[in-house]
Order: sequence, then C-alpha cells, then structure tokens
Amino acid sequence: MTTFTIHDVTKTFTNGEVEEQVLNGINLTLQEGELTALVGASGSGKSTLLTIAAGLQRASDGQVQFEGNNLIAMTQEEIRKIRASKFGFVFQSAHLVPFLTVEDQLMLMLDVSESKMTKREQQAEVTKILNMVDMNHRKDAYPSSLSGGEKQRVAIARAIIHRPKILFADEPTASLDSKRSRDVMTLIRDLTKTLNITTLMVTHDEEMLSYADHIITMKDGLIV
Amino acid sequence: MNMAWKEIKKSKAKFIILGSIIFLVSFLTFIISGLANGLSQDNAALIKDLPKGHFYMNADAKETYNLSKIDAGVQDQALQDHKDAAAFSIQMGFVNDAEDKQHSVAFVTSTDSKLFENVAPGEIVLDRSLEKDGIKVGDVLTNNQFSGTFKVTGFVDQKKYSHAPVAFIHMDNYKEIYRVNNMQLLFIPAQDQAPSITGLQSFSTSQFLNTISSYKAEQMSLNMIIWFLVAISGMLFAIFFYMMNVQKIGLYGILKAIGVKTSTLFRMMWSQMFFITIIALVLSVALSQGFSLIAPEGMPFHLTLDTTLLLSILFLVIGFIGATLSGIQIKKVEPLQAIQQGDM
Repeated sequence: MTTFTIHDVTKTFTNGEVEEQVLNGINLTLQEGELTALVGASGSGKSTLLTIAAGLQRASDGQVQFEGNNLIAMTQEEIRKIRASKFGFVFQSAHLVPFLTVEDQLMLMLDVSESKMTKREQQAEVTKILNMVDMNHRKDAYPSSLSGGEKQRVAIARAIIHRPKILFADEPTASLDSKRSRDVMTLIRDLTKTLNITTLMVTHDEEMLSYADHIITMKDGLIV
Repeated sequence: MNMAWKEIKKSKAKFIILGSIIFLVSFLTFIISGLANGLSQDNAALIKDLPKGHFYMNADAKETYNLSKIDAGVQDQALQDHKDAAAFSIQMGFVNDAEDKQHSVAFVTSTDSKLFENVAPGEIVLDRSLEKDGIKVGDVLTNNQFSGTFKVTGFVDQKKYSHAPVAFIHMDNYKEIYRVNNMQLLFIPAQDQAPSITGLQSFSTSQFLNTISSYKAEQMSLNMIIWFLVAISGMLFAIFFYMMNVQKIGLYGILKAIGVKTSTLFRMMWSQMFFITIIALVLSVALSQGFSLIAPEGMPFHLTLDTTLLLSILFLVIGFIGATLSGIQIKKVEPLQAIQQGDM
C-alpha cells in the first residue's frame, strides 16, 4: 500500500549570486512495511531529499504527498503536528535529551505526539517498546551512562513509541562499529515489518543495504 | 512532562549557581533598599508620616522652605477655609541638658493641630531617641537663644528631621529663638487636588521632600544603586540563560525536529527562571527581614513589606524579560542545523 509519494521535487540553494541545484526533479514512492535505502556519494542529494520528505526543510518545487496532503503547501505548524504524530526520526547521532532518563525520553515523545493513552497505558507502552529494543533494564539510566549502541537503540525506541507511519533514518549506523551497526539495522528492519512502518533510510554503508527492501541510488541530484 | 524540573534536578550545580547569584543580588538590593528607606525615615519622618496632603510655601521662596514666610492674613484665611490645615516651621538648633551637654534637634512649631504635638509655652516634646541619651520627662533644657527654659513633658516615636530628633515647642518660644513672626509652611491634608492659595506655591509630599537638598541627594544616590542592582540582575538572567540556550541549541533543534512546540521550550525556560527566582527571593526576603533584627543599634534600616513586595515583583519581571530576550535564539533555531551537528 502506497503511503508516501514524492513528485518532481527540486531543491536549489542560493549562496550569494551562486545557485546550486541539489535535487533535479525527484520522483519516489514508498510502500507501507518496507525499508527503502537511499544511497549515493557525498553531495548526491540523498540527505537533502530525506529532510525535505521529513518536512524539515522545504523543496523549491514539486510535491511531497502524505495521506492526501502536500507537505510543501502546509504551514510550519501543520508540518510540526505531522512530525510529532506521524513521523519518527533516527539521526546519525542519537541526539537524546541529556537530562531525561531512557524511560522519560520515550514518555516525552508520547507527550509530544499528544497521545490519548492514560499514564498507565503510556507506562506499559514504554516498557513494551524498551523490551523490543532490549533496553528496559536501562530505563532509569541517563544518556551519559549509555554506550553508543545503547543510545542509538533508545533513539530508535523514541522514534517508534508513538507508532509513526513513516520512519526517517539518516545514517543511523554512522557512529557505530560494525557489530552494533548490524544490531541496529536488524532492529530497524524488524520494527519496520512488525509495526508495519514505512522506513526511508539514508546510508553510505553498503553492508547495510542487505537489510533494505528497495535500494535507490542518487547521483547529482537525480535517482539513477 | 515537566522537562524544566527534570533538567533542574539533573543539572543542580548550574541552577544553584544562578540561584545563588540572584539571591546575592536581590539580598544586596533589599539591604540597600532598607537602608535607603531607613535614611529617608531618619531624614524626613516628620514629613513622611503626615497624612496625604499638600504643602505650601511662599511663591517667591525659590522652593526653599527656609526662605518661606507665609503672610499672617493668608495663613489665617487658609486655616479658616480648611479646618484640618496647620501652619508650621522647622529650624535646626540644639538644646542643652542639665549637665550642659548639647543635643542637636530640629525645632518644630505649629498652629493648633492634631497633626503636630501641641505644647504649652516653656514645654518641649522630644523624639524618643533623646530618651536614650539620658533625657527624661521633667528634665529642664535650655537654648542659648531662648531666655526661658524648656520642661520635657513627653516623648514621641519616629519624629526625625534632617537626621536630627524633632523637638516640638510652642510658637511663642520658637518666635523668640529665631526672631521670626511668620510661619514657613502650610499643610492642608486629605485633598486630591491642591487648593489654590494666592501667593503660595503647592507641593505634594514627594515634591516637598525633593526640595530638601540633603534628602534628594541621599535618596538619589541610594535609589541609583538599587536600580543598578535590579538592572544587573536582569542582565545576569539574560546572560545566564543566553549561555544555557547556546549550549542547548542542538537540543532545541532536535526537540523541534521531533515535534516539540517552540512555546513548550519557552515555557520550560520561564518555569526554570520563576522557580530559581522565587527560591532566591524567599531566601533573600527572609534574610533581609532578619537583618533588621540584628542590624547594629542606630543603623537606620527600615524595610517595609510594600518595598519588599514591589522589588520582588520587579525581580520577577526583570528575570522574565532577561530570560525571554535570551530565548529569542530558541525561536530562531532550525531543526536541520541541529541534526547536522554531532551529539549533545
């Protein structure tokens, strides 16, 4: 089932009098329950495409269709609401809130997504998701006491706790060693399937492509 | 989720430092304010403790009450028109006790009025501070410009003028000492609008106090220190929260990226500001009130509840403005920038 489509998206950056076209008319369709990997050399435009798809920056032209709405035509507040309730994010670094425990990181996301669950249901959901990423035993720990792999697993848990429709992962294994990278990728793939999430992932690590259902290669702002 | 509280709990040292600085600045402000108020009482309690009303002096006295001489006819008419009004004069002088020890006083005389002590000729009523100097009721005092003697008939509390205790004497005795026939000032209480009196210039209490040059200079200096401290505390808030916000730019960006509202981030900063300020203020108010109990004898320290409340509200407002100004960065921060940076 199609949940996310990108039509003729272009992006031009202007630096003084110099204009640089980073995306040259991208068309892409993402399917529910599938993991799509975006690959390409540095500067190919893959990260720009991911951030436009995630509503973190606007395209110069084109459409990003999600649940019948064009993200590019939406106000900042409308996009924020979608990011809070329908999107999940995993970044290169875990970017956890340093003063919140593992459990609170997830509770915060439930708050942000304006979850209708009762406190008790939220607590149960947090435990369930932390068990899925094998981090429930560290629920009271602060990020400073977690290893890189543990932080990334918490970041993944935070990204899916509110049951997003789309998961955006920008080089989620970039800061991890190969064993932890494989663990994290296995987790992302399994969650994509188990929770029926649409996942769009940017990676430059070819080893990680084996976890993807679709591989899209970008070059000079185009899908090749 | 109460992120503000969770951050305070996790980063205690950071917030204790800010709280301590605010506590010290506010404590110093309260102490100086208490001293300013104390000195103000010491300088002009006689005037400040009069009810709300208007003072009058000669229009050609150049706003200097010492030069003012109210015409007897004008005075009589005014006293007739306004039944609670009083005419009075103040002059610095001294009295000698039985041991010929000199005591500086501010001689005050007035027409028959409930606003001032009414004394018979040859009698004197003194501010209670002179009682501590050993003067008692029944003592006989002298003045080298006065042919008779003054018998002390009583003491009154908190009647000071120009840092000297007030000595209420009869009008006839005053006229003999200072060789004058006219009163310097007229006071009409409880009038919203100053009634116009031909040949006289009217002053509100604060306007009149400002015609006393020593009072004006003293209060201006102290008030300037108070306002500086208030401004400094505002700047401290702005700088501290600016530094904290700069450190947290990445975090704010990520929180925005995952959908946290900008208003939530502002609320978090404001709650932290209010929490720290209120704790710092409670401590500094308690200590400054306690200071009035242990202040050295004779130190003019007088911190009223009104002043404390006003300054506390001012600190909260200034803190709010300082924190908000520094928080403009929160509004500007782009989620994308934060994502492109490393871990926080």
